Order: sequence, then C-alpha cells, then structure tokens
Amino acid sequence: MSLLGAGILGFIAVNVAMLLAGWGVWYERKFAGRMQSRPGPTEVGPIGLLQPIADILKLMQKEDTVPRDADAGLFHLAPPLTVLVTLAVMAVTPFGPGLVVADLEVGLLFALAIGSVIVLPVWMAGWASNNKYALLGAMRSAAQGVAYEVPLLLAAAVPVIYAGSFRISDIVEAQAGYHWYVGWPPGPGLVAFCLFFLCSLAEANRIPFDIPEAESELVAGVSIEYSGMKFGLFYVAEYLHTIIASLLAALLFLGGWEGPGSDQAPWLGTVWLLAKTLGLFGFIFWARWTFMRYRSDQLMRLCWVVFVPTGLALVASSAVLVWLGVV
Amino acid sequence: MALARWSGMPALGDVPVQIDVDPYMDIDAYDAEGDLMVLNLGPQHPSTHGVFRVKLYLDGEVCIKAVPYLGYLHRGVEKLCEKLTYANVIPIVDKNDYVAPMTSEWGLVAGFEKLIGVEPTPRAKVMRTILGELQRCASHLLWIGTFTLDMGGAIGGGATVFMHTFREREAILDVFAELTGCRFHYNHFTVGGQRHDVPAGWGAMVKAVCDLLEARTEEYESYLTDNTVFKARTVGVGVIDRQLCLEHGLGGPIGRASGVDFDLRRDGDDYGAYGTVDWKVHTHTDGDCYARYLVRLNELRTSIAIVRQLIDGIPEGPICSLKQVKLPGAVKPKAKASMAYAAIETPRGELGTWVMANSERKLMPHPYRCKLRPPSLHAVSLLPYICPGNNVSDIVVTLGSLDPIMGEVDR
Amino acid sequence: MKACHDAIALCESLGLGEVDPEHGPLVPAERGRELAAGLKALGYDYFVTCVATHLPAVEATDDEPGVPERFLVAYRVRRMPKGHFAFRFEVEQDCPSMVAFWSGADWHEREQYDLVGVRFEGHPDLRRIMMPEDWEGHPLRKDYAIETRHFPWR
Repeated sequence: MSLLGAGILGFIAVNVAMLLAGWGVWYERKFAGRMQSRPGPTEVGPIGLLQPIADILKLMQKEDTVPRDADAGLFHLAPPLTVLVTLAVMAVTPFGPGLVVADLEVGLLFALAIGSVIVLPVWMAGWASNNKYALLGAMRSAAQGVAYEVPLLLAAAVPVIYAGSFRISDIVEAQAGYHWYVGWPPGPGLVAFCLFFLCSLAEANRIPFDIPEAESELVAGVSIEYSGMKFGLFYVAEYLHTIIASLLAALLFLGGWEGPGSDQAPWLGTVWLLAKTLGLFGFIFWARWTFMRYRSDQLMRLCWVVFVPTGLALVASSAVLVWLGVV
Repeated sequence: MALARWSGMPALGDVPVQIDVDPYMDIDAYDAEGDLMVLNLGPQHPSTHGVFRVKLYLDGEVCIKAVPYLGYLHRGVEKLCEKLTYANVIPIVDKNDYVAPMTSEWGLVAGFEKLIGVEPTPRAKVMRTILGELQRCASHLLWIGTFTLDMGGAIGGGATVFMHTFREREAILDVFAELTGCRFHYNHFTVGGQRHDVPAGWGAMVKAVCDLLEARTEEYESYLTDNTVFKARTVGVGVIDRQLCLEHGLGGPIGRASGVDFDLRRDGDDYGAYGTVDWKVHTHTDGDCYARYLVRLNELRTSIAIVRQLIDGIPEGPICSLKQVKLPGAVKPKAKASMAYAAIETPRGELGTWVMANSERKLMPHPYRCKLRPPSLHAVSLLPYICPGNNVSDIVVTLGSLDPIMGEVDR
Repeated sequence: MKACHDAIALCESLGLGEVDPEHGPLVPAERGRELAAGLKALGYDYFVTCVATHLPAVEATDDEPGVPERFLVAYRVRRMPKGHFAFRFEVEQDCPSMVAFWSGADWHEREQYDLVGVRFEGHPDLRRIMMPEDWEGHPLRKDYAIETRHFPWR
C-alpha cells in the first residue's frame, strides 16, 4: 500500500477506533444499566446517545491539577502515551483484505510487543503522581501486565503455528473456507482463543482482572491524581485496548473478515470484522458487570500456575497437529 | 518479633507472614530504618463505610500494624441527650445507626422504658418486632450490596449486586413510608409504644414484600454462595477467633459467625414478641468473612419468617402505654433505680442504652447521662487485632464484612 | 442479675458490701482488679460497656454536708449463654483499667477519658479517641457548656 493510502487508512482507522471507544462507553453504560434493572443514560440525546459527548465536554472543562511534588514531566506524558501506544497496535492489524497500514512480516509479534509497552506509561503515571495509592496501583499493574504477557504470547502462538506465518493477513487467509482456528482443528484452537481473550482482559485491566484500578481499594489506582481530560484519556485507552484486543482475537481466531458474502464484496468483509469485534467487546462488558475481582496474589497465581502451563501445552499440541499434517 | 520473609514457593500461594499481633507495639522501635510504608485508608475512601481512617503500616502489601482513628462523625449525641428531653432525643438517635434507624430508636427507647418503668402495649410489642425484623432485612440487604461493592468495585460485578439489593430495600422502605410517612429516619418509636398506627392495607403490603424478599434472597444465594471469585475473596479471610469476639463484646452476626451462640432476642431481657414465634439463631464456626456472609443471609430468611408469623396477628389495642404521645413534662424515675441499662439485638449486634435519671426537679425531663453502646464500635475495635498479616485487599474485605456504621461508632 | 449467684457470692467473699440487684456492687477502686479477675475466672468473658458520669461537687448547705466532685464509672459484663453482671466505681480521678481482663474495654475507657476526663490507671494507650488530639476540656462534663467554642471547629 502506498504511503498516502496507508496514511489515509491509518487516519480513518484511528478515528473509527476512537469513536468506537467513545460510544463503547455509551453502550457499556446502557448494558450495565439494564443488567442492574435501571435504564442507563437517557437524558442526553435520544436514548442517551450524546452521553459520550457530554462526558468529553465535562472532562475538558475541568481544572487540570498537578500535585505539588509530582514529577511533572512524567505526569503530563503518561496519559497521552497510553493512548498512543494502544493505537500503535492498529498499524499492523488488517481491516479487510489488503487493508492494512503496514503489512509487516512479523506483524503479530509487533502488535504484541507494542501492546506490552503499555505497562510503561501506566507505571509512569503511578510513580509520577507522588501518591501511595497510585504507586500501589502501578506496582500491581506492572506485575500483572508483565505476568500476563506470557500466556498471551503462548496463546497467540497457536494461530502462528497453524498458519506458519507472523503476518496477520496470512493468518486470516489461512482460515479461509470457514476453517476458523477457534473451532478447527477441534481442540487447541478453542482453548487458545479463551486463553488469549482472558489474557487480553488482564492486559487491559478489565474485571475480573482490574486490581490495578480496584476502585474499592485503591480509589482509582493509577489515575487517582489525574483530573479532567487526562483522566479521560486513561479510560479511553482502556476501552481502546479492549477494542484492539477484540480485534486481534477476531483476526487470529474468528476468521477475520470472513463471513457470508465477504469474498464477493471486500467491504462486507470489513463489516464482518467489525461485527465480530463488537461482539467480543460486548462480551467483555458482560463479564465486567457480572464478576467480582480476584485479589492480586490470586491473579498472579492464576497466571503462573494455570495459564502458563496451559499455554505451553497448547503450543506443544498445536505443533504436534501441524507435524501430523492435520492443519 | 520477627517478620518472616518469603519461604516456600510464592507462586503456589505460600505467603507465610508470621507477625506477632500486638496492637500496642511501638512501630517506631520495630521499624527503626523507616522501611514500612504508611498508607492512610480514609477518611475519604470508598470502602471505609463512612468517615473513618485507618493508618496502615505496610511492608509491601502486608499490614504490620493498623491504627484506627475515629471521631470524624462525632456529633456529641450524648451531650445532646442531656440537653433534650426523653422524647426529643429519639429522632437524634435515628442518625446513629443510620442504616437501621428503627432498631436504633428501639435500643434507646428500651433503655428509657426500663428507667421510667413503663411497659409497651402488646400491640406495640408486636409492631416493634415486625418493624425490627423488616429493618434487619433492609440492613442486611444493604450490607450484601456494599460487601460485594468492596470486592467488585463500583464499576463491576459488585455494583450489579448492589443495585439489585437496593431494589429490594426500596420495597421495605416503601412499607415504612406507608406506616410513618418517612422513607428513612422515622421518629416512630416513643417511650411506651409507637407514634403511628398501622394503616389499612399495610398487612397485605408487608406480606407482598415478604414474598418478594424470599424470592430475591434465593437469587442472591445463587449469585454469591457458590461463586468461585466470592469464595476466593472471603473464605479464610479475616478470621476472628471466638475469645476475641467475646472480649470485645461482639454477639451480633460477627460473633455468631465465630461461634458465639448469643442473640439478645433469645437470651436477653424479654423484649418484643420473639418468645411467641418460632425462629432459630444461626451460628457458624469459621469466623471468616464467608461465615459472616452466611450468617447474615440466613438471618435475612429468619427475619422474613418471623414477620410472616406476626403480621396477621397484631393484637388490637392502643399503640402507646402513656396517655399522650408527647411525653409529659416531668417524668419521674423509678424510686430506687435511677440508672438503667437495656439492650436489643440490632442487625449489627448488641445496641445498649445506659441511662441515668436526673433527680433535680426542674431538670427531670432530661436524662442526666445517656450512654449509647453501639455494636459497630466493638467491631471496629477489632481492626488492630485482625489487620496485621493481611493484604490491603483483605483488609478492605474484612472491614466490609464487619459492617461498621460510623454514625453509631462516633455518635 | 438476680440469677448470677456465683458472681454475687464472689462479691460477698471479697467483702465488697451491698450488691444492688441491677447495678452490682459499688467497688472501692483498689479492689477492682480482684473483682475483675474473679469474674473472668467465673466465665464472664463478654464485655458490654463502660460508662463514666461526671457528678459535680455539691456545696455544703445547712442541711447536708458538701460532696466533692466524683466520677461514677459503671462496667457491665456478660457470661455466655445467659447471665450478666455489673459493677461500679465512684472515684475522684483515677479508676483501675479493665483492659488487661477484657481487651474490648480499651476503646470504651479511651472514650470515657476523652469525653468525661476519668483517667484509667493501667490502660496501655490512654489518648483521645473522638475529639482531636489537641482538644482542651472534656465535653461530657457538667461544667462544659454545649456551645463552647474551639477554633477552628466552631
């Protein structure tokens, strides 16, 4: 893809992602409301559709406080950096056949590597706030982020082994013909999908893994000293991370842009991809408003004792399947 | 007293921390280098259940010493009791245990009645029992909601349970509003009986609420009792040993969950209509947060059963023993007993009133000294004993399971 | 109270004088610990409350002699499953602390010290609990006006 084309695609993708994150807030609040036998936002706009705009306007006009002894440079830098790093992952994810900003040969590796950098700005925010709660949240976030990388990579290795390539478009094309890795070959694919999904939840600090921002204990954790739009950026970054995790899961395991009519009309493929992403995104809300959170040491234990061995077993079994020629 | 370091395999869950629990230990001597982190939980914190501060000395995430600071909500209620008359004090006491105002008033009024030598009428006794048990339901529902909120956060699964329990609590508050006119803080009890009589149709309303509560309690049981995450957060957490409960005077759900088989409704001075109904006291032996949850859930069911048994048979008659609902100006104390203590079982435990009468003629309508013995004060006083050795997360969950209401702790 | 024969017998054996059926004996301050130890040995483990009342000095009149300023400190304990016992001290300034026997007495005694001003001798950590650390005066005393000003709170 030419540089201009890539630029335009990137611009559109970033905008769409940010809009999805914004209206993801609306969708989540409505969904949560209905789960809690109440309607959710209804005042602003028809069925509350303009609520995200109201929220953004509110956040923008708030005073931007900086604690007195905070490390100002890191303090200001952390929130935009979280958003930036999360959006950077979209550089390698295709949005349809041939629609990718940078079709790297090591695309998946790049995506996961950049995704893991998000631990740094979160930690920076916690340190720079000069607040013990923020520090506790940052420490927990760093521990959790780094720990859950391992099973995430192991689970992501399964489609790579099946497809024989790190390039995400190759992985999607290898699933053509409805041979989606989540169901075929039966076995490792489904487990790998669940593991990938759960580890992405952990990376994105979503319940049941949201110890770093455990509101009831840490009063907003890392973002405790932030006000106004910087605070908003943390939450936008969280939603973006969730969307991108859903996008990756859809590409790697759910056949990407494959769906009825996608081979005739490529734009329909993009629509299917969007539908799959939003479906997973909705599932994440459902999980969030249903579960309580684990304690941080229980989370760590879950990672190292349950997820990592499962990931290793998955890699081994998928390698065996490839060697046997099943895939 | 040494703090043990890591041994065994941390990844497999071995976190041995041996700390000799001494609430009075001199932390500056213990930590001469200043390695411990001091974290203030409160006074502004979503999980301190009111305005309350605990200063935690943490080694990493493990607490070494916890020092609670009270008094943020101290409003001088006992001083007010000396200035106001016996009748005027009752709406003030509503605001002590602001989550269960009916039983809060009942505790005070029981003390005054013992002092003055007045017995409530049979109708009042049965009404009081019904209201007390409904209040217990409302309070335990709120507790279940806020307890899961402590674990799941206001932006998570805990909030869902919270919203659902509040929906049921609204039904109970509607019942109270129908009777007294107020949803919250009723000023309904008075020395000798009640101030508002049962309106028409109230019995049917209460029965409908009982049916609703029973169905929904089954739902809450299905949400929580076998929930893996809930059990992982509460089983074995915040264990309080029986002797500690006794020495701290805790007989409510906290004590009963630790094996103290004591319930003032059964074992105290005979008050209310508890002797005439068929009900049982629930106890447990583990003393952890899960046990306290089970005890409160079962108490919810028992309360509904008691209300069902009483609602159809409220005896006819006056609702107040004293001729006027407004107390007469001069209330003569019993000749010899110028002091009295009476206690009732609130949703939190033993709420007692110790009151001393004024013997000066012109000051007779005012108590000379009125001390309110709140169960939550005793619950919170456990913190220096049960926090050391636990994580911050566990401390928050334990504090939630103790169900402290700072209004009555500080008065 | 009337059924707590063993506790009443204990009081009689310690020679503490008349035992009021509802409020127990009026114990001299120096005998307090003996009584507490005896009660604990009988199984009175559950601490109910500790209340201190300020009884201001009464001036001597022609009919009656004057009474000095005293504090009445009333304790109450229970035994599982049934049975409760109370005892009282009337002291001028210091009252023996019951913390060594019932650890729950700690905060009650601190509160009575804070609000009424009775010192509890033997208390491990006697400091204010409700009022701020630097508050002057003891609010529940009879000579402390309810409208007393104290910057910056009033």
